[in-house]
Amino acid sequence: MGNELIQVRDLKKYYNHGAIKALDGVTVDIDRGDVMVVIGPSGSGKSTFLRSLNLLEEPTGGEIIFDGVDITKKKIRNAEGKWVKLDIDVHRQKMGMVFQHFNLFPHKTILDNMTLAPIQVKHMNKAAAEEMARSLLRRVGLEDRAAAYPIQLSGGQKQRVAIVRALMMEPEVMLFDEPTSALDPEMVGEVLDVMKELARDGMTMVVVTHEMGFAKEVGSRVLFMADGKLLEEGAPEAVFCNPQHPRLQDFLSKVLI
Amino acid sequence: MISKAGFTRTFQFLGMFRDGLICTISLSALTVLFGFILALILAVMRLSRFQPLRSLGIDRDGHQREEGVLAVLSRFNPLSFLATLYVEVFRATPMLVQLFIIYYIVFAPIKLPAFKLFGFIRFDRFLPGVVALSMNSGAYLCEIIRAGIQSIDGGQTEAARSLGMSQVQNMRFIVLPQAIKNILPAIANEFVTIIKESSVCYTIGVQEIMYAVSSVKGATFSIAEPLIVATCVYFCLTFPTSKIIAYFERKMGAGSNRNAQPRSLAKAMLGSSLTEKNAGTEQESEAK
Repeated sequence: MGNELIQVRDLKKYYNHGAIKALDGVTVDIDRGDVMVVIGPSGSGKSTFLRSLNLLEEPTGGEIIFDGVDITKKKIRNAEGKWVKLDIDVHRQKMGMVFQHFNLFPHKTILDNMTLAPIQVKHMNKAAAEEMARSLLRRVGLEDRAAAYPIQLSGGQKQRVAIVRALMMEPEVMLFDEPTSALDPEMVGEVLDVMKELARDGMTMVVVTHEMGFAKEVGSRVLFMADGKLLEEGAPEAVFCNPQHPRLQDFLSKVLI
Repeated sequence: MISKAGFTRTFQFLGMFRDGLICTISLSALTVLFGFILALILAVMRLSRFQPLRSLGIDRDGHQREEGVLAVLSRFNPLSFLATLYVEVFRATPMLVQLFIIYYIVFAPIKLPAFKLFGFIRFDRFLPGVVALSMNSGAYLCEIIRAGIQSIDGGQTEAARSLGMSQVQNMRFIVLPQAIKNILPAIANEFVTIIKESSVCYTIGVQEIMYAVSSVKGATFSIAEPLIVATCVYFCLTFPTSKIIAYFERKMGAGSNRNAQPRSLAKAMLGSSLTEKNAGTEQESEAK
């Protein structure tokens, strides 16, 4: 076992009875403290891969072993060897997720956005949750916006709130699904800065992104996906400076670094 | 046909219109209450993921089967099926037919207590009226609520679930509050419809406004004047109702308007010092 947090084994996601193979046998280990950056052309299955990790997409086949439990199974054997229903909500609490379109709750203030799940799911008391929320907001420079509604924030501010909202659940891994793709260019930096700080603090992260600069600077490993397959995997220097697979060479020649 | 004398005669029976008004209001209010509860239950049934045969669709490795008879059976949702059947039947048949079936068939063998509400509304007629109206409006409201729930961006549910919230918590805290805000105009419209539809209940002898019209007609031999009075009464009832709901609509608009002040800030500004106002606008301009 050792250091692996998530082991993905031969993960498959088919649509229309296999006519479309969004994921076609992906196998990869994600270790604690990894900052794994997933790159690839659009339609390559990057987002499907990420969303499968917390079962927002239900895989067609394969295994995702998270903290020693295969979460793709509907039923698992517990410690006494009995078959019990797998409670996915428990596992999702340990996986924070940040979306391309922020998905803040528009009818709740920033503070309520952050404290809702800790209070309702983890039964944290309200005062403690609000104090934690305020200190996280301070870290991302938004403490004065606690009482505002999401619509009153800029895109970059929204995404920073979305990140700290996920951190409120104290997850073991953070999943980022193209967190900067919906932002105006001048706001990309502020979000990447927050992510870099997270990485420095040792958070395990899986990041689907088109920000090659971020991948190079912060990534501990880079995965290159195309057509639902994992084609190349390695340290950022190896992937960017010495690409082996022709698809990767082609991809890198087309994106500006 | 319409004469001043006719109105004079009609106005002698204003008491009957007052009773009719009270009856219509209680009929509609109870219908709104029970219809809404029924509609919520139906909508949740329609959107539920209850699949009692689900285990048939799981293969030996514990994975979900993709195709075959077992996969189809495993997806069968009896709750959703029943709710859909109910909604389709009640929307596809006339209100009057439903009322008669419920009054003359369903309630025929049931002996209802014959006491009178407010001293004049006959309970054994009133209750079947409420039941029929509630069951009918429940079907329409169910469709409104279902559409409202489905209009909420799937990203909201994904965000809630990824934070570890259960499907029930997601509905209660995230989806329903937003959905109800969106469908408020449609619900208001349905409430107004209920007030108007309740007039069919006079056919089974519920003493609401139209019942008053026919009584006055019998007593005065004039029909036009009582009808005009009834029209005015209905209008005075429905028009404020839609206005009141429009007020709540604006009140629930928090988070949908950039200029809306956050609650705590609004409170602070009641004391309204100029500096606080300036701080507010500064934040606003910084945000964009």
